[in-house]
Amino acid sequence: MRRIFQIDGEETECWLSHDGNELIVNTPDGAIPCQLDPTGTPGGHVLRVRGRAQELRLAVGPDATFVHLNGQTYAIGRVDPAERLAGNDGGAADDRIVAPMPGVVVSVNAKPGDQVKEGQPLLVIESMKLETSLIAPRDGVVAEIPFAAGDSFGLKATLAQLAPEED
Amino acid sequence: MRRIESQIDTNAPDFKANHAAMSERLKEFHAHQHAARFERPQRDIDRLARQNKLGVRERLKLLLDPGTPFLEFSTLAACREYDGTVPGAAVVTGIGIVQGREVAIHANDASVKGGAWYPHTVKKIVRLLDVALENRLPVIHICDSAGGFLPLQHGVFPDRYLGGRVFRNQVKLSQANIPQVAIVGGHCTAGGAYVPTLSDYNIIIEGTGAIFLGGPPLVKAATGEEVGVQELGGAVMHTSVSGTGDYRAATEQHAFSLAREIVSQWKRTPKTIIETASFEEPYYDPKELYGIIPKDRKTQFDMREVLARIVDGSRFHEYQPEYGTTMVCGFAHIWGYKVGILANNGVLFNDSSLKAAHFMQLCNQNRTPLVFLQNITGYMVGREYEERGIAKDGAKMLMAQGGSVVPKFTVIANASYGAGNYGMCGRAWDARTLFMWPQAEIGVMGADQAANTMADVKIRQLEREGKELSEEEIAAIRDPVLEKFRRDVEAYTSTSELWDDGLLDPADTRNALGMSISASLNAPIDDPHYGIFRL
Repeated sequence: MRRIFQIDGEETECWLSHDGNELIVNTPDGAIPCQLDPTGTPGGHVLRVRGRAQELRLAVGPDATFVHLNGQTYAIGRVDPAERLAGNDGGAADDRIVAPMPGVVVSVNAKPGDQVKEGQPLLVIESMKLETSLIAPRDGVVAEIPFAAGDSFGLKATLAQLAPEED
Repeated sequence: MRRIESQIDTNAPDFKANHAAMSERLKEFHAHQHAARFERPQRDIDRLARQNKLGVRERLKLLLDPGTPFLEFSTLAACREYDGTVPGAAVVTGIGIVQGREVAIHANDASVKGGAWYPHTVKKIVRLLDVALENRLPVIHICDSAGGFLPLQHGVFPDRYLGGRVFRNQVKLSQANIPQVAIVGGHCTAGGAYVPTLSDYNIIIEGTGAIFLGGPPLVKAATGEEVGVQELGGAVMHTSVSGTGDYRAATEQHAFSLAREIVSQWKRTPKTIIETASFEEPYYDPKELYGIIPKDRKTQFDMREVLARIVDGSRFHEYQPEYGTTMVCGFAHIWGYKVGILANNGVLFNDSSLKAAHFMQLCNQNRTPLVFLQNITGYMVGREYEERGIAKDGAKMLMAQGGSVVPKFTVIANASYGAGNYGMCGRAWDARTLFMWPQAEIGVMGADQAANTMADVKIRQLEREGKELSEEEIAAIRDPVLEKFRRDVEAYTSTSELWDDGLLDPADTRNALGMSISASLNAPIDDPHYGIFRL
């Protein structure tokens, strides 16, 4: 898999190889043979491409490499392919919150008809000495919260239900 | 490896309330640590000065490489015993750096009861020597002890893991070709005489150091012979006549320079090589842990937020992220060392137990050390789970954990209840080091549950006798039990009893683990092998 870089907001896929003599930067527009040698000054390098020599300075950060060239600085962001290619979590979130285990409702923080935001706590349950906050899986409207504080429930009982999303 | 994306809002009211509560606890904790290390009655300080002896902390300074870390164990040992009069159990132990190499250090603290061995002193020394054996660390003993504390002789002397175990472990170290040097900076009397004599090298400080089986008063009582300390067991006699001592040191400074010279000429065995990456500080500030740990122990929190403040670059490769989600498993680096992490995000179910067992096998296969981050209230109970074989799946997890050949490290970050403590490599399961956070709790069950169970038994017994109990009478039975249990499950009780290797400020967890992992690599890692898994 080619590596993904971000330059000026544009993503480009590249791969660096070596032919035994010099480096080859493989870009979507073709292969570019080149050489990069340190000059001895901090971050200083000489880049040789197609007979031309160009001095530049490099600084490597955790997420990007910075290149100082001809009085200008360029940030080359490295995009993690596993993150970039994961997509959007594979579909819509479930509208229902089901009990992960049997337990007791400690408190209910929303009521039917309430507009809730993703991540907002809807109710708190207790089981096995632990209080767990159950949160809204997405923005939406609460359709139903069948249990009240103090009620006990079984495994996979529906503890809260959001109204179906309108298209 | 990808960075964990923290969801924590450091401006949220919850974060601030947690942060304030934890900061308060840590202020108290650091004050306790400081007192145990440095605060002594003036008469004890004066006595050391009169005897022309340095305090144990000054001795450590002379011994250790300047500017290097010292991983001190169980600073608060015995803090809830002997009315708090034996800080640190009268001994300092830990892993330090001498001449560039990792060594285990056992140093009597003569400013506490003349360095006498109390039951907890013995436990602490035996633990240190176990650490040395498991990790193949050379040992440096700094001897200055009045001997066993006689009023509690049965607590220091006869049993398998008491006094004799100190010397037994010294023999096992020697047998395993792990060198030891003892610096005799006070009297080593009776059993204490065997610490320097079982060491491959020993140094006696002239004037203050002495070794004898019976001191002058005992000799006088036994045989009538009158003899002075120096003639009976001083540095000159032992290094030139008896051969019991190896080197005579003119001063404390001379003694420690000799000890450092001895260490520098020991053979260096190459350390075990595991996967490493270049060192990276966590991306998220470890001090944010103070606001992440809920002030109410019952409140659930995401252990990934904790991991993000412990591991290199806050980077974590999560394994099976969508299966058995109450058990977070994955790979990360700490101080550059690759580790497999198991962290609790809730109760252990069948699937989470199986996931843990599977992941541990994976780590053993790859020689990846294991780090356990405990916040565990137990394995799930109830008919549904018994039918699915929760006890069988828990047994698989124990078989994989207990049968692991890679070094294991445990941090009790919050709750450590019941069999969950076992599955997650509690004290009995040979973690190379086990540390606890000051707000954490450990017990067969939570204090409330235990107190209620005990009180219920009592109440039912009275009811059978025909007694009708009022609310007040029930409270009078339950409240004292509850109070006792609440104290019993506290981290201070655990650390007092040496059920851990010390309490940690959560922000120091990363360094304590880094140092532990580094030290563990002095020992080889065996090929993986297990017992029978109940499939």
